[in-house]
Order: sequence, then structure tokens, then C-alpha cells
Amino acid sequence: MVKSLSVRTILLVFSAMLLLPASCKKEDDTYQVNSELILPASAFKTKLKTDQQYVAILHANLFQQALSANELYDIAQCIESIGDKEVAREVVISNFMNKPGVQIPTDSAMHADIDKFIVETYERFLVREPSEAEITYFKNFILSDPNVTPELVYFSFALSNEYLFY
Amino acid sequence: MDRRKFLNNTAKIAAGTIIAPYILPSGRLFAQTGSQLAEHVVYVLFAGGVRQQESVLQRYLDDSQGLPYGGNIMYNTFSGAAPTQKIVYGTGAGGPNPIPAILSQTLEAQGTVFKEVSSSTAGHYGGLNALLQGNTANTQGLKSKPVYPTIFEYLRKHGGFPASKIWFVGNGIGNSVPLLNYSNYAGYGPQYGANFFAPTFTFGDDGVDYLSNAKVYHPEDQLSPMYQMKYFLDNSFKSVGNSLPLLNNTEEEKQEIKLFIKEMFDKTSAGTIDFPPVADNGDLQTIGYACELMKWFKPALTVVNMSNVDGCHSDFTGYLKNLHRADHGLGHIWDCIQSIPEMAGNTIMIAMPECGRNLEPNSIKDANQWYAYDHSDTNARRVFGVMVGPGVPVGLQLGSEQTPIGLTTDGVPTIAEILGGPALKNQVLGSGFLAPGSESWFDRV
Repeated sequence: MVKSLSVRTILLVFSAMLLLPASCKKEDDTYQVNSELILPASAFKTKLKTDQQYVAILHANLFQQALSANELYDIAQCIESIGDKEVAREVVISNFMNKPGVQIPTDSAMHADIDKFIVETYERFLVREPSEAEITYFKNFILSDPNVTPELVYFSFALSNEYLFY
Repeated sequence: MDRRKFLNNTAKIAAGTIIAPYILPSGRLFAQTGSQLAEHVVYVLFAGGVRQQESVLQRYLDDSQGLPYGGNIMYNTFSGAAPTQKIVYGTGAGGPNPIPAILSQTLEAQGTVFKEVSSSTAGHYGGLNALLQGNTANTQGLKSKPVYPTIFEYLRKHGGFPASKIWFVGNGIGNSVPLLNYSNYAGYGPQYGANFFAPTFTFGDDGVDYLSNAKVYHPEDQLSPMYQMKYFLDNSFKSVGNSLPLLNNTEEEKQEIKLFIKEMFDKTSAGTIDFPPVADNGDLQTIGYACELMKWFKPALTVVNMSNVDGCHSDFTGYLKNLHRADHGLGHIWDCIQSIPEMAGNTIMIAMPECGRNLEPNSIKDANQWYAYDHSDTNARRVFGVMVGPGVPVGLQLGSEQTPIGLTTDGVPTIAEILGGPALKNQVLGSGFLAPGSESWFDRV
């Protein structure tokens, strides 16, 4: 009897505590400022690039020159022939990286001014400036891992989801 | 609440918490394995509009050109004497040398033949959709994804098969073939789709130019940090636009696919792809790569598409040649399956055309002055089906022109039953997406 009473008491107290936050309502403190949904700049890239658009832009970003129409058509067909498009893009990028003429900063140039490298990479691939959080992340990542080269940074940008949209 | 009840409830909640992460997306706790009829299925979409008359009915020129020369030109598939005159379907100039049979015993003798199957459509894309989604939707357009879930999605979503175990090997990228690896149906879609290759493109001249020279990165030292940076970028990206159609291969599966691509370029360059003995058309080259794919991935489901026979629109002689070669390819696939230890004796192969061809010819004559055939009449809705493998009745023939048995939409529930047992078959049949009357072939026999 005593045991069941004590359990009931605990349950009552616990229920009362659950109701407490609902019982008082916080006053609206927006002070006549309209509430707006704030999204990052990248959120407005809503259109998915076609395979041809992707390849054309990728080639321009890596080689700083346009791809011929024939090559563009052929590479887009290669991508179409592979079901997993992520794999297809990865293979295309790694083929480009193996070709002469890729315009990538040297490792020492990257380390000489990491902030500048990050900003330029964002502008080159994602056509926007990075946020402070993004700069900090990449700066820490580059400094913490000696294996990270400009080529790998470029690879990750070319493979990112944001790069697939415009 | 007494102590016993409290402990009982706590134990139930703890058990639920532990089990919940292992429940499959379909709500099933475990993937179907115990009741499988076989662990592998090879489904051959054969081969671009095949007339009953020259295939299962073995009439050769007798029912098409008004020439009294019958005979069987599908040596590996059907039992029956070959034509003795007017041989044009073989190799050499004019095709006088038939390609010898690969199999010592025909597929007909080893399994079950559905001699008269009804195709729901006389068109290629509709026919391929019927074979893969078990339905021919009136709203299905060309150049658009299947409107109903495909067998690939049923297997991955409800059967729990990983992406790298479900493959579709296309014979090209034309005619919307690359679109067939998953549907647009809500709740299904790319995350349950099949992996796809069109090998004659991927590993052909363009592939050699643009895919074969991929830089090899170290998986831990280079690829790992690269992916970490990519994932950071992906997490920072909050698009309000379209979502990405991803097949959800795991990183390990993607790595396997990349290694396979590299291996294929090496083998192509070395001339060691497992092509059929004669590989002088796109279908046979596709089959060679499909065999390599089976050896590498040992897929649960491999779908192979062929279409060279469709040259019959303007070249009947070419049609006979390609039909003879499609049979040669089918024999090679079955032979290849027996050479893979994990698949031999554990694989069921199904072959069925997506549509037939007309009873009456069009007005086009080829070099032999033989008429060509399109596909648009009721004869074009007559096809055959062959099934062979463990558990398949041997030497059984079902149906005739007067009593057709089976639909082209039967392929979907049949594969579901083979790989997922009665539970998956019933789930697929009960989905409401299949054409009325569709059944597993095991129920029809």
C-alpha cells in the first residue's frame, strides 16, 4: 500500500513538472520586426546541371579553357553509360586530373596563403564567397592533414553536391 | 505499477530499441534468403522484336518469304533440325557458316519453354517496361522513367539487396535504355535503383578516350580526406531545389565499381574480355562485358538487354544473322554462369523478347530480295519465354498458338519469387502495380 502510494505521488509530481513549461507563455519579443527565413547563398542554386553542362563547366574550371563540342558530346555519353553518376563524375574528374594542362595551384602556393586559396577555390567552383565557418573548416583541415593537396581540394569541390546545381 | 510489470516493460522497450535499427525500410526485419529458389537470376531481354515464326516455331524462310525452307536457327535455345538450304545467318561472306552451338544440351531440353506468351505491347520501350515493371502503363511515355516500380526497386526496397548486387547491362544509351534502371514512383526511385552500364559506350572508344586514364588515388591517404571535404561541402549545402538521384552505393561499392571499370579497360586492352566465340555485333560485345560483370560482382539480379534483331525493319537477312547471334549470346551467358563457382547450380536464367514482329512484311527488300518486318500488329504481341536453372521443370513445354500461357509482365513476380520466396512474390503481386493476370511462372507450371 505504502509502495503504491509513493509511486503514485512520484507520478503526480512528474506530470505536474511536465505541465509547467506549457502553463506559461513567453511574450513575443520580435518588436515589430518581420520574421524572415534566412538561407545561405547556396540555397538558391536550385537547378541541376545536365551532364553536358557539368562537364563543360568542370573542364573550364580545371583547364581554364573550353571543351570542344565533340569532346563534350562524347564525355556526356560516357557519363550516361554509367548508372551511378557519382562514380561516373569521379572517373571523369580523375581522368582530367591526369591530363596535362590542368591549372592547379602548387602545394606551396596554397600553404603560403591558405585563406586566399580557399576564397579563390570557392569563387572558382561554387561562384560564391565562403562563409567564415567554411574558411575556418578548410583552413584547419588543410593544416591538420599533410596529405591534403590543392588537387584533392579541387577534386572535392568538383564532386560536391553544390557544384551540381546552379 | 508493480516491480514485475516495470521490469517487463523496461525489457520490452530495451529490446525494441536494439531491434529497431535493423528493420528494413519495407518494415521487414530480415531480407528474404531462406525461401529463395536460387541466389542469382539472369534476365535476358531478348532481343529487339523477335517473330515467333523464325524463333520458337522454327520456320526459317517458310513463313516469311514464301520459300519452303524451314528449320531452327537458334541452336542453343531450341531443339530442332537446322535449315539445310539458303543458309545466310552464319559467318563469312553471305553467312554460309552457322555458328556452332555452345551448349551440349539446348536450354529447351534443360528447362521450361513457354511457347506462346502474350506481350502487352508491340513496341520496344513499352515492352521493356512490361518486362521490368510488370505493367505497361498507358501513361508511360518514351524518354521518361518507368512510371511504376521496377523489379530492381522491389528487390532492393523489399528484399534488402544492396545496390552492387542488382545490375542492368544495356546494349547502348539510345532508345531510353539508361532510363530503365529505376522508376519515378513515389516511395521507390533511384535510392532503390539498379546499377547500370552500357559497356559498348563505357568501355568503347569514347570510354577509352575519357574514362580509361583515371588517376589512381590512395584510398586512405588521398581519397579519405577528399571525401571528408566533399561531405563537409555537402552538409553545408542546403538546396531548396531538386534532390539528387543517387543509387546509394556505399563507398565500398563505389570503390568496387571503379576497380571494375579499371579492370575492364585493362582486359579490353589486353583482348581478354570473355566475349562469345563470335562477337561481331553490339549485342554479343555487351554480353561479353555482362559475363565479366557477373564474375566480378556475382549479382543477385543481372538484366541484360539486346536489340540487334531490330534491324529487321529493313534487312531480313541481317535479322536472321542477329537472331542466330542472340541465341549464340544466350548460350554463352549460360555457359559463363556455369563457370562462376558462386553462380553455377545456383542461378536461374530467364529469356523473353519484349515484343514480336508482324505477320505481314513491309515493302522493303534486302540484298537477298527478302521482305522486312515491322512490329505493330497482333502477331507482334506473340512471344516466347525460356526459363532454366535449379528447380525449373526440365523439358517442359507450355502453351501453343491456340492456348497462350503467360504474359511478358510475368517476369517481375517470377524473379521476386526466385530471389525473395513466396513472401516477396505476394508483396509484389499485391502492390497493385502489376498488369492484371500477371503471375509467377512457377505458378503457371
